[in-house]
Amino acid sequence: MSSLVFALVLSPVLAADPAETGAPAAQAAPAAAPAAQGALPPQVEELFKEKGKDGQPILTDSDRAAVTKLPSHILATVAKKIDAGTLGGANHLHILLSLDLSPQTAELVFSDNCVLCHSDPEAQGKSRLFSPDPKASGSPAHLNLKSMLSDAHFRHGLMCSGCHGGSPDDEVMGGAIKERWPAKDERQKDRGWVVGFCGKCHGDPSFMRGFNPSLPTDQVAKYKESQHGILLLQKHDSKAAQCVSCHGVHGIQGPKNRLSNVHPQQIPFTCGKCHADSQYMAGYTREDGSPLPTNQLELYQTSVHGKALLEKGDLGAPACNDCHGNHAAMPPQVASIAQVCRTCHAQNGILFDGSKHKKAYEAHKWPECGQCHGEHGIQKTSDLMISDSADGLCGNCHAKFAGNNTQCNQVARYFRGSIMELADGDAHLGGDIEHLAERGLDIEKLGAAKGELDEALVQARSRIHAFDQGEFDVAAKPGREALAKANTLVADAHSEYGFRRNGVLASIGIMGFLAVMLAFKVRELNARRKK
Amino acid sequence: MSAPETQTRGQRLFGWLDQRYDLSPVVEFIEHKEVPVGGHPMVWYYLGGTTLFFFLVQIASGVLLLMYYQAGEATSYESIRYITTKVPFGWLVRSVHCWSAHLMILSLMFHMLSTMMLKAYRKPRELTWVTGFLLFAVALGFGFSGYLLPWNELAFFATSVGTDSMKAVPVVGQWLLEVLRGGPDVTINTLYRFFALHVVVLPITAIALLGVHLLFIQRQGMAPAMAHQKESRPGIRFFPDFMLRDVLLWLVCLILLSGLVFLLPYGPGIPGVEWELGKKANPLAPAYPGIKPEWYFLWIYQLLKEFPAHLFGLEGPQAAVGVVGVLMAAWALVPFLDRRAAREQPSPMFTDLGVGALLFIAYLTLKAWDIGGLAKGETGLPDPRATSWACAWIVLAIGVVVTAFRAVVQKHRWFILSGAAIVQAVLNGLLGMDYLLAGAIVVVLAAVAIAVILRRPAPAAAGGTT
Repeated sequence: MSSLVFALVLSPVLAADPAETGAPAAQAAPAAAPAAQGALPPQVEELFKEKGKDGQPILTDSDRAAVTKLPSHILATVAKKIDAGTLGGANHLHILLSLDLSPQTAELVFSDNCVLCHSDPEAQGKSRLFSPDPKASGSPAHLNLKSMLSDAHFRHGLMCSGCHGGSPDDEVMGGAIKERWPAKDERQKDRGWVVGFCGKCHGDPSFMRGFNPSLPTDQVAKYKESQHGILLLQKHDSKAAQCVSCHGVHGIQGPKNRLSNVHPQQIPFTCGKCHADSQYMAGYTREDGSPLPTNQLELYQTSVHGKALLEKGDLGAPACNDCHGNHAAMPPQVASIAQVCRTCHAQNGILFDGSKHKKAYEAHKWPECGQCHGEHGIQKTSDLMISDSADGLCGNCHAKFAGNNTQCNQVARYFRGSIMELADGDAHLGGDIEHLAERGLDIEKLGAAKGELDEALVQARSRIHAFDQGEFDVAAKPGREALAKANTLVADAHSEYGFRRNGVLASIGIMGFLAVMLAFKVRELNARRKK
Repeated sequence: MSAPETQTRGQRLFGWLDQRYDLSPVVEFIEHKEVPVGGHPMVWYYLGGTTLFFFLVQIASGVLLLMYYQAGEATSYESIRYITTKVPFGWLVRSVHCWSAHLMILSLMFHMLSTMMLKAYRKPRELTWVTGFLLFAVALGFGFSGYLLPWNELAFFATSVGTDSMKAVPVVGQWLLEVLRGGPDVTINTLYRFFALHVVVLPITAIALLGVHLLFIQRQGMAPAMAHQKESRPGIRFFPDFMLRDVLLWLVCLILLSGLVFLLPYGPGIPGVEWELGKKANPLAPAYPGIKPEWYFLWIYQLLKEFPAHLFGLEGPQAAVGVVGVLMAAWALVPFLDRRAAREQPSPMFTDLGVGALLFIAYLTLKAWDIGGLAKGETGLPDPRATSWACAWIVLAIGVVVTAFRAVVQKHRWFILSGAAIVQAVLNGLLGMDYLLAGAIVVVLAAVAIAVILRRPAPAAAGGTT
């Protein structure tokens, strides 16, 4: 019995550390198995012995932890590359491990001789060295090892040789590398070749299906139709943007990545890189011959769309490409501007189509929405815009083009008056509801009536685009009804409050009277007691 | 034979009842029952009565609420909403119930404090004090259980936090927590048992305790002033003299209640003293910061916050609950600890204990309210340093005024415990010392000071006159 107790007491100790308790080797076997898995190839172990100038090992404990996590077949590749000399030494391995590689990326990196050679500071000069920090190492900015390894192409297995030619297994750079691209002078002089080069894969649906089946393959066709494409491909103007101008070279990311140049919140700045640079854009003109402005980015940033996208982070708000197109980028023509706006503001567009203004705008060749709301600097609309006087939108145009039509002016005033009546009523109602709720009155119906009024107000503001009193009243009438209902409810609530107040005052009065009577009685009793 | 003919109808009725139920001794008792006068202001005798008044209001308004309230996941919140918005005068009843609950506890606290100051607990009324203390605990239970019943967001999270502190009770903490919650988390099962507690268990307990408490008072009469304070004045008759005064004060309380209910139907809006319904409880929603219990629990809540995660091998909350337990037990046993008062001798230490407890609780409660720290937080949350600073100044100011009043007007000479509470607030709030360290220092200082005083000859030691 006592030996059983002893064994039970001792058993956790034995299980905890067989080495310390001096247990036989057979008992320690299960613990030895993971150690065998974590064992590194001797070539790698050798690198861990290498010491730097300070006499300390170059590879750290965290490097060991990182390398131990690698699957055995990748470790075998690492050993092979050390033998072949493409993995230069401890310092080189330390640089690669410091990038915190995922197993997938590690597999690609350690099997690609191009990456290995061009990331070894002892094998490459600065101008050709991929570095985790190009600024510090003096390499060109596009040779950023970190962003290159996260590149969408690299992650899908399309490594250096995929664009540059040759093979990842090549131990020396052969002639094949020069065959894919035009000579250096040519490719700098006319950048048109870039489009064809990228398009070779991105225009081939059967090829792209193997990598990213949902990605469209019409980019080149669209680009050819774009203003950029016309300039580059027809007029050989290499200042025009092509694929790499927007997407970059090494480190290309898809549009959903926040670090990508083509993420919605980055697009205004990617386009602005050229379009906000007055020097770069000098000489480019609009169709009418006037110089192309460069204030679009500045205006956009102050616009309702720009604020929504860049400040509020609303990715549904339009960036440059949502109106101008991506690969087929073009300034929208007068006829198409309204259609562009209608993709989001459909109801206002339909109302405008049925309005008297439609014909007048067509006759004058005015862009529909842009005429009143502007283009890049579109501001949040205000009820004050509706006015037949000089400070409003209607007054100015009508004075010039509609002979100050009194009927129109009357309708404008009706719009303004109605909207202001509903908006003011709505604002007051908000205050009333808060006030009544604090006093403990039922505001449920009142809240519902305010909801109806809010909806009617949104609709009425939209229906102004029909420029017709009848059409406007379809929304304004329920708004007025909701306001009237709400005002009645507020009045009811006030009268209920009055009733409560009078009730409480009356009760307090009666209780007060009783209290005074009682006080007299107590005084009388006191006096009697003293006698 | 002629006597019955000269009797009034009332006298005849009384005679009829007296024959059957022997009422004469009761009438005799009432006619001769007196309330002692002199020694200290009469006002202290009324606080038990006002507490009773608010308790009766609670029963009446609670029964009215019960006619519409339906406990349940889909009905608790909805029925309270229905009561406040649709039921005629429902808003009034709910508001009266909430206001009266807070006023009852406030009145109960003053009642207890006055009993403490006047030593009314002294022999032979020790058990009256103990039943009173138990009634206080029941009142806190009423507050805690009633808070959850509307099943709104604030109540849900406050109950989660409140019941969570049960875990800190040594050994049986987790078990207690699960018994209280009806499971490991606050769910609708918690509401069901809180409802049962609030409308059945606690009322029966309260009425039973109250019966015993009142019986003791009727048997022994109200405590007269202590021998050294007594002026030889005749008492006043309980009926009708004192009774009428009581009714007058109850009327004043009712007027006050009506005014508050009308002006602030959802309470004054101070954390822990508000009952706006807000949103329905959603157990899946994340708790928001700034959830606070009701005002009378705030000092315990703050004390829990002052404790570190671990202290002398105990978990912080365990140590805090231990401290609260010791303080509460000491408070409950005051009549047995105060030997001097039992001998009708001045007992200044216990007078000072009452003042010290008040200052101690005041400092913690003010801190829990984030007084003075609300505007200064860098992260948008209240700044604890600024809070301690402001609260310490407030406690110091109150402490100085109270001490001066006691020293000059009441001729008290014993200030060690109240002084300790003030010094702790100053060390923590003004000098930035850790709250517990400051507490340990003042406890040691107070212990030394008391030991020194107790060793000195008796007349000098007594000092105070209370």
